[in-house]
Amino acid sequence: MKQNRGIEALGERLRTRQIPLGWVIIAVVLILLIIVPFAWKDNSYYVHIVITIFIWGYMATAWGLVGQSGQLSFGHAAFMGIGAYTTGILYSQFGVTPWLGVFVAIGLATLGGVIIGIPTLRLRGVYFALATFAFGFIILMIVKNATYIGPVYIGGGAFLTLPRAGQAPAVFQFESKTPYYFMALAMLAGIVYLSHWFNRSRMGFYWTAIRGDQDAAESLGIDAAKYRLRAFLISCALTGLGGAFFMQYFRFFSPQKVLDVSQSIQIALIGIVGGWQSVFGPMIGGFIIVPVAELLRLNLGAFPAMSPIIYGIILMLFILFMPNGVNEPFMRGLNWLERKYWRPSQNANNENNEKVGRQ
Amino acid sequence: MAILEVNNLVKRFGGLVAVHDLDMTVNEGETLGLIGPNGAGKTTLFNMVAGYYRPDKGQVIFQDHDITGLKPYEVCRRGIGRTFQTTKPFLDISILENVVIGGFMQAHSTAEARRAAQDALDILELSDRVETLGSELTVPDRKRLEIARALATGAKLLLLDEPMAGLTPSEKGHASELLRKISGQGITLVIVEHDMKVVMTLCSRIILMDRGEKLLEGSPKEVSSDPRAITAYLGEEYTVSG
Amino acid sequence: MSEALVAAVVTGILLGGLYAVIALGLNLIFGIIRVINFAHGSIMIILMYLGFFLWYLLGIDPYVGMLIVVPVAFGFGYGIQHVLIRPMFKREKSYVVEPLGVLLLMAGFDLVISNSALWAFQARVWYVYGSAFMGSVSLGFLHLTKQRLIVVLVAVLLTAGVYWLLNHTSLGNRIRAVGQNREAAAICGINVHHIYALTFGLGCAVTAVGGCAALPFMPITPFAGMGLALRAFVVVILGGLGSVRGALLAGIIIGVVETVGAHFTNSSIAAIIVFAIFLIIIVSRPKGLLGTIEV
Repeated sequence: MKQNRGIEALGERLRTRQIPLGWVIIAVVLILLIIVPFAWKDNSYYVHIVITIFIWGYMATAWGLVGQSGQLSFGHAAFMGIGAYTTGILYSQFGVTPWLGVFVAIGLATLGGVIIGIPTLRLRGVYFALATFAFGFIILMIVKNATYIGPVYIGGGAFLTLPRAGQAPAVFQFESKTPYYFMALAMLAGIVYLSHWFNRSRMGFYWTAIRGDQDAAESLGIDAAKYRLRAFLISCALTGLGGAFFMQYFRFFSPQKVLDVSQSIQIALIGIVGGWQSVFGPMIGGFIIVPVAELLRLNLGAFPAMSPIIYGIILMLFILFMPNGVNEPFMRGLNWLERKYWRPSQNANNENNEKVGRQ
Repeated sequence: MAILEVNNLVKRFGGLVAVHDLDMTVNEGETLGLIGPNGAGKTTLFNMVAGYYRPDKGQVIFQDHDITGLKPYEVCRRGIGRTFQTTKPFLDISILENVVIGGFMQAHSTAEARRAAQDALDILELSDRVETLGSELTVPDRKRLEIARALATGAKLLLLDEPMAGLTPSEKGHASELLRKISGQGITLVIVEHDMKVVMTLCSRIILMDRGEKLLEGSPKEVSSDPRAITAYLGEEYTVSG
Repeated sequence: MSEALVAAVVTGILLGGLYAVIALGLNLIFGIIRVINFAHGSIMIILMYLGFFLWYLLGIDPYVGMLIVVPVAFGFGYGIQHVLIRPMFKREKSYVVEPLGVLLLMAGFDLVISNSALWAFQARVWYVYGSAFMGSVSLGFLHLTKQRLIVVLVAVLLTAGVYWLLNHTSLGNRIRAVGQNREAAAICGINVHHIYALTFGLGCAVTAVGGCAALPFMPITPFAGMGLALRAFVVVILGGLGSVRGALLAGIIIGVVETVGAHFTNSSIAAIIVFAIFLIIIVSRPKGLLGTIEV
């Protein structure tokens, strides 16, 4: 009986439009996304594309956390690589199931974040970006050259592949794409929600302050270095997690391609196109860039160099004309829609500013 | 009772001595005016008290605790707030959110911070415009925002760096009233100002600095009638008669 | 000290000369315009391709080809600053922009240029052979390739030349004025954006001289620029931002570190060492050895 009343109340609120438009749209999109793998059961290619969107949307959102505190990391691919290599090696060489290996991956990625994050605490914008870039480059060099680190075979730059285990949920491998799909969807939804939650928490406010004006922030009792480091470490840990999933899904990792600077640029590109300091921006960027990338690959496959050229041009265009990404116009459009059609009442503005507001 | 004590403070920048062997006491609850020509070292003094510069020599003691050399955020935690000569609002967010950030200093939840922010906003009479973005503010509003923000941290002592700069005479009058309101709550104010009318009416005590040293100290009447102040800085039309 | 080690040090000095020249160009750009030209390497490679084709198709020796490539480099650099980077200044309505934005802009540009080279020229490795100054000079047990020696000579001459230009000509005065205080320079009637573009062109031209001097012995591939530019970054930071002489000194240091490092370990570990140095410098003493610019 109680449940019915709950649903009734929800329906009531929906009908009287007390729920902000943004959440409704999110709910609808979520429902659609959940249906996708079943509707397209025979077309695993499309499912694959959507999974790829989820993965890169996730990566960009994780990267964007550093952006929320005002810094730009130019070597984030390194943490993805650390995550991927850790779970991959732990499984293929030591038989450790990725369900456990992922924790080690997160730990190592965080450690990497500590190694580069602490010395660079006081560095401003560009110099921090360069330092992260150097770090990424060093990781790439290490992976390319070390054949063995202790008892562990790194492979000296060769591809890292994961032995197929067929349908083996215990080691996070599945025959069909569906479990991967839902895992990726859960991860994306989770990280976007996390980002949103941070944004409205005290730490999120502090990030906004540090990003806005560090001196002013410090005058208000904010330890800028501490909170920046936290943003960075959280980002590294989550990126490592993403890398682990990446490894499990693609079962293939080419250090040359994935740890290269162009990969870090690609993550940055997705973030920037979407809106690199916002909550939903990077995810939106993923939804835009990944399909575009795939279309390019299909139509221009004969010219493999074309993709990076297009990425470069897109990046340049956005930096020149829309450095804050599509997030702002997107949100303004959403607000406008809300005011005009959904809830043309005064209440709408205030609550909307709260929930969807500037992010 | 002294809330802030500064002893033998020295700050050098290369060959330039910005602050030279300065002693100063600020009494609890008073409104202290800090005046002097540009380059006298007033902002440097503020920066040293607030933790942005480390003194080369000397001590800063706040509520009987030595806070010399502490970082700015630690100084704020002890209960000192400050504003800046050129205002630094957080541009992308609203007035309310700006002040809420300050409010977190004495709150654990967003709701508490919001309450502290609301109180500060009420005192500074900004409650009617809380949704305006930082980038959309007029100069007087920016000044008020910065004070509200510092106030929301629960500061007992506010260092205000030229809060009247850029304001019209009527805006200054209004601002002075607001400052009196704040002082009335028991908050100690140290104000760097150039407008002598404001200083004379607001401050119970004045310190005159020049070239990094304290020249004079006393009530507005004492300082303004001292020949040294008149010759160095004040100009005859501001002397208080009687 | 073993002969091999001495030989490595000397090779390092020769290599350092090339790094110094590239770093000189970067330094000019960063010192005056305060932007980081992330595409410096690929720009150099494109210009080297030009030099290569002048040789391949027209038989022009790279040393002579310099006379064509360098002006082209200057024009190219001028154009890049004017067309790509200047809009960013205009948007900020200021003479100084957040270098991060330009970093990303040039990173994108770098992707475009180097991949266009890949597309146009494929991943093949292209060599010039049979140009002037072949052979080597003997100094005791050392055999120094004449062509590499020329690069060092070029580095020293260019450093001296740029130093002289900056400090003893009126153009140099104007450039330095802009570098020190853009607004003040503008008020004095200096066309800041023109100086910016000139400086960018000069930076590319200087690097092009080095590239052409290296062409006789250096094989070019579309992505070879990135590695060189990265070393040049390290050199710029080590030598100190804004210091022309610092770049020369640091170039040689880095060159020696890399070859000696490769002598004892291998070339990749040497590269890691170089980047570790970069990190250490940027964290502990961002001003570098002789730098004048506050970081």
